[in-house]
Amino acid sequence: MFKTHYRIERKSITLAIAIIVVASIGGLMEIAPLFTIDETVEHDPNMRLYTPLELAGRNIYIREGCYACHSQMIRTLQDEVDRYGPYSLAVESKYDHPMLWGSKRTGPDLARVGGKYSDQWHTAHLNNPRDVVPQSIMPRYDWLSQTELRTQDLGDHLRAQRTVGVPYTDAMIANARADAIAQASPGDADEEALANRYGKATQIRTFDGDPRTVSEMDAIVAYLQVLGKLSDATQPKGK
Amino acid sequence: MSIDHNLLVAVSKSVGLFYLIAMAATALVYSCWPANRERFNKAARDIIDDEDAPWQ
Amino acid sequence: MVSNLTVGERQGALAILIVLTLCGLVMAAAAAGHGDPMEMHGYLVMLFSLGVMAILLRGFLAPPPSEARLASYYDDPIKVGIIIAMIWAVFGMIIGDWVAWLLAYPDATFDAAWASFGRMRPAHTSGVIFGFGGNALIATSFHVMQRTSRARLPDQLSPWFVLLGYNLFCLIGISGYFMGVTQSKEYAEPEWYADIWLVVVWVAYFILYMRTLARRKEPHIYVANWYYLAFILVVAILHIVNNLAVPVSFAGAKSYSLFAGVQDAMTQWWYGHNAVAFFLTAGFLGMMYYYLPKRAQRPIYSYRMSIVGFWGITFFYMWAGSHHLHYTALPEWVQTLGMTFSLMLLVPSWIAAANALLTLNGAWDRVRDDATLRFMMMAAVFYGLSTFEGSFMAIRPVNALSHYTDWTIAHVHAGVLGWVSLIVFGSFYALIPWLWKRERMYSPTLVEVHFWLALSGTLVYVFSMWNSGIIQGLMWRTYNDSGTLTYSFLDSVVAMHPYYVARAIGGLLFLSGTLVGCYNMWRTIRWSSAISAAAPDELAPPELLPAE
Ligand code: HEC
Repeated sequence: MFKTHYRIERKSITLAIAIIVVASIGGLMEIAPLFTIDETVEHDPNMRLYTPLELAGRNIYIREGCYACHSQMIRTLQDEVDRYGPYSLAVESKYDHPMLWGSKRTGPDLARVGGKYSDQWHTAHLNNPRDVVPQSIMPRYDWLSQTELRTQDLGDHLRAQRTVGVPYTDAMIANARADAIAQASPGDADEEALANRYGKATQIRTFDGDPRTVSEMDAIVAYLQVLGKLSDATQPKGK
Repeated sequence: MSIDHNLLVAVSKSVGLFYLIAMAATALVYSCWPANRERFNKAARDIIDDEDAPWQ
Repeated sequence: MVSNLTVGERQGALAILIVLTLCGLVMAAAAAGHGDPMEMHGYLVMLFSLGVMAILLRGFLAPPPSEARLASYYDDPIKVGIIIAMIWAVFGMIIGDWVAWLLAYPDATFDAAWASFGRMRPAHTSGVIFGFGGNALIATSFHVMQRTSRARLPDQLSPWFVLLGYNLFCLIGISGYFMGVTQSKEYAEPEWYADIWLVVVWVAYFILYMRTLARRKEPHIYVANWYYLAFILVVAILHIVNNLAVPVSFAGAKSYSLFAGVQDAMTQWWYGHNAVAFFLTAGFLGMMYYYLPKRAQRPIYSYRMSIVGFWGITFFYMWAGSHHLHYTALPEWVQTLGMTFSLMLLVPSWIAAANALLTLNGAWDRVRDDATLRFMMMAAVFYGLSTFEGSFMAIRPVNALSHYTDWTIAHVHAGVLGWVSLIVFGSFYALIPWLWKRERMYSPTLVEVHFWLALSGTLVYVFSMWNSGIIQGLMWRTYNDSGTLTYSFLDSVVAMHPYYVARAIGGLLFLSGTLVGCYNMWRTIRWSSAISAAAPDELAPPELLPAE
C-alpha cells in the first residue's frame, strides 16, 4: 500500500516538474539575451529623465488607460514613419517602467506627439475631444483640469524609480515636489534649479493655462509634450 | 571568456533547436510506446462513467 | 454548506478569516490619511472576510458532518464556483458591450472618471478572463480532478480557500481599475498587493491539485489533468515574473515595474501571449478533453494525439510571445523566432481541434439534437479557426497590416467568444444536471436559444471586426500618386463607425444568450425537488444511460 502510494505521488510530481521545465525553456532562451542587449543597441548619453511633473503625467496616462487606445511605438514601416516620424528606438524607452508601447491604435500613435500641438490644444482636446476634433471618439477627461495634482509624495516615486534603475540623483529626489510645482509655474524661484537638474530643454510653462494651481491637466500635458523629446538618438546629427 | 550578447543569442538558437527536436522525439516515443497503449485506452474509457463515488 | 465542514475545518476557516480581516485593517490603516486608493481595498478585504465569516458563523455550531460524506465527492465549491462564474460573465459582458458602444457613441457614459473607456476596458477584460474564465476553470477542475482520480477532495477547507480567495483577487483587481489603480500591463493590471495575494491562492490551488491526484485509483493520470496542471503551473511562473515590481510605498497602491523598455515589452508579451496559451487555452482544453467525451458518450478519438498535442502546446507557446512585437525596437532575431514558433504552434493546436471533432464523428445525429454537445463542437471549430488565424497573423508581413488594428480584436474574440465561452457553456450545461442531480437542464429549448444567440453574436462580432481591422490597416498604409499618405488618421476613425455599431450589436446578442443561459441554469437549480425525487436512481446521471 505504502509502496503504490509512493509511486503514484512521484508520478504527479514528475509531471509537474516536466511541465515547468518544458515550458520555461522558451521564455529563458528568448528573454535572457535581452538583458545583455545594452551591448548592441544605440546609446544616448544625453538622454534626459522625466521630470517629476512629467512622471506624474505619465502615471495619469497609465491610470486613465490611455494606453488602451494609443500606442507609443512607431514600427519600422514606411507608412508609419511617414505618418508619425522616425521609428522608435529601444533606447528611447529604456527608462520607461513600465513601457507603454501599447497594442491597439484606436487613436493615433503618440510616441512623437511632443511639440506637435500647443498646450492649449491639448487642454481643450482632453477637456472634450469633440470641441477640437468633431468626429473624435476619444473620451473626455474634463476632471483633470479640476483635480489638483498630488505632489507631496513625488520624491517617493523618484526613489522607487531609482530602485528599478532610473538614475535620479539625491537632489532630484529631495526637490521632486518643488520641481513639479516650478515646472508648471514660470517665473518661480526654483525654475533655474529645475533646468539645471533636468536639462536646459526642460519645458517650463503653465500647461493648462491656469497659473494658480498645479492640476493633473498640467501634468498630463507636460508629459504629452515631452513624448519623443527625451532622446535625440533618432536625429542624425552626424556626431 | 565573457558572456556577451552574441554568445547568448547563438546559444539560444542552437540549444533551442536541439531541445525542440529532443522534446518532439520524447513526446512521440512516449505516446506511441506499445506498452502504453492499453493504459491510454483504459484511461480514455474510464472517464465515460465516473460519477458514482470515490474509490476509497 | 457550512454544516458539511468538520469542526476543525470551521475553526481553520475562522482563523484564516480573522487574519484576513486584520490584513484588511492594516491596509486600510496604512493608506488612510493620505487618500490612497489602497484604503478602499483595505475596507474591501475586511468587508469580504466579514461577509464570509457571517456565513460561517451561522452554521458554526451545527453538528459535525457524518463520516458518510467521505463516500461521495465533495461538490459544494464546484456549485458555488459555477454560479460565481456566471455572475462574472454577465458583469464582464455588460461592461464589454458598454465600452463597445462607447467607441461608436463616445459620450454614452456618465460624466465620471470611473465610467471612462480607459478604466472600464480592463474591467471588461479581467471580468471575463479572470472572473468568468478563471472561476469556470477552478470549478470544473475541482470536478475533473475528483472524478478522474475517483477520489474525494482531500479536505473541505482548501477548495473554499482557493475559490473565495481567487474571487477576492478578482474583486480587488477590478474595483481597482475603476479607482485608477492599475499597472497598465495588459491582462496583468492588478497592483502589487493583489498580485501577492494571488500567489498565495495559487500555491494553495496547486497543493490541492497534487493532493487530490495523490489519492487517485489508477496510476495513470487522465490527460485532462495534465492540461489543468499546466494551466496552474505556468500561470504561476508567468504571473510572478511579469509582476515583479517595486512599490512606491508599502502604504500605497502604486508600484513601478522592475523592467523597462524592450525587456519590459518582451516580458509583458511573453506573459500576455502565454496567458492566452495557459489561461485561455490549456485549462479549457482540459475541460474539452473531459466533458466532450463524456457528453458524447465516446472515448476521445485518440488519446495519443492528446498527449502529443499537450507537449507541443506546452513547449511551443512559450516562444511565440514576440510576435506581438514585430517591426518594433525588439531585436529582429527574437521576432523571427516568435514567428517561426507561432507557425509550428498550428500543429498541436489542430491536433486538439481535430481530436475533438473526430471524437464526434459517428455521433453527428447527437450533435444535431443536443445543443450542449453542439456548444462543444462549435468551440472546437472556433478553436481550430482562431489558432489558424493566430499563426497567420504572426507572419511578419501579415502582422504589419493587422497589428494595432481591430483585426486583433476580431482574433481575440473568435477565441474567447467562439472557443472559451462556448466550451464553458457546453461544459456547464453538461455538468449542472449531474451536480444538482437533475434529469436534464430545465429547458432544452433555452439551451438551443442560447446556442444560436451565442453563435450569431460571435459571428456578427468577428465579421465586423475583421472588416474594420482590414480597412483600418489598409487606410493607414495607402499612398496616393504623389507619394503621400491618402488618409488622415481621423478618416480611418470615421470609417470604423458602422463596424463599431455592428460589433456592439454582436456583443449584445452574445450577452443576451448568456442571460438566457443564466435564467435556465437558475431554473434548473431551483427545479422542484419533486422531479429529482421521482428519479430514485440519483447517483447515475441520466446522460450516462444509452442515448436512445
Ligand atoms: C477610446 C479610445 C481613446 C482613449 C481611451 C484615449 N484616446 Fe486619445 N485619441 C483617440 C482617438 C480616436 C483620437 C483621434 C481623434 C482625435 O484627435 O481626437 C485620439 C487623439 C489623441 C491625441 C492627438 C494625437 C494626434 O497626433 O493628433 C492625443 C494627444 C491623445 N489622443 C491623448 C490621449 C490621452 C492623454 C488619453 C488618456 C487620458 C487618451 N488620448 C485616451 C482615442 C482615445
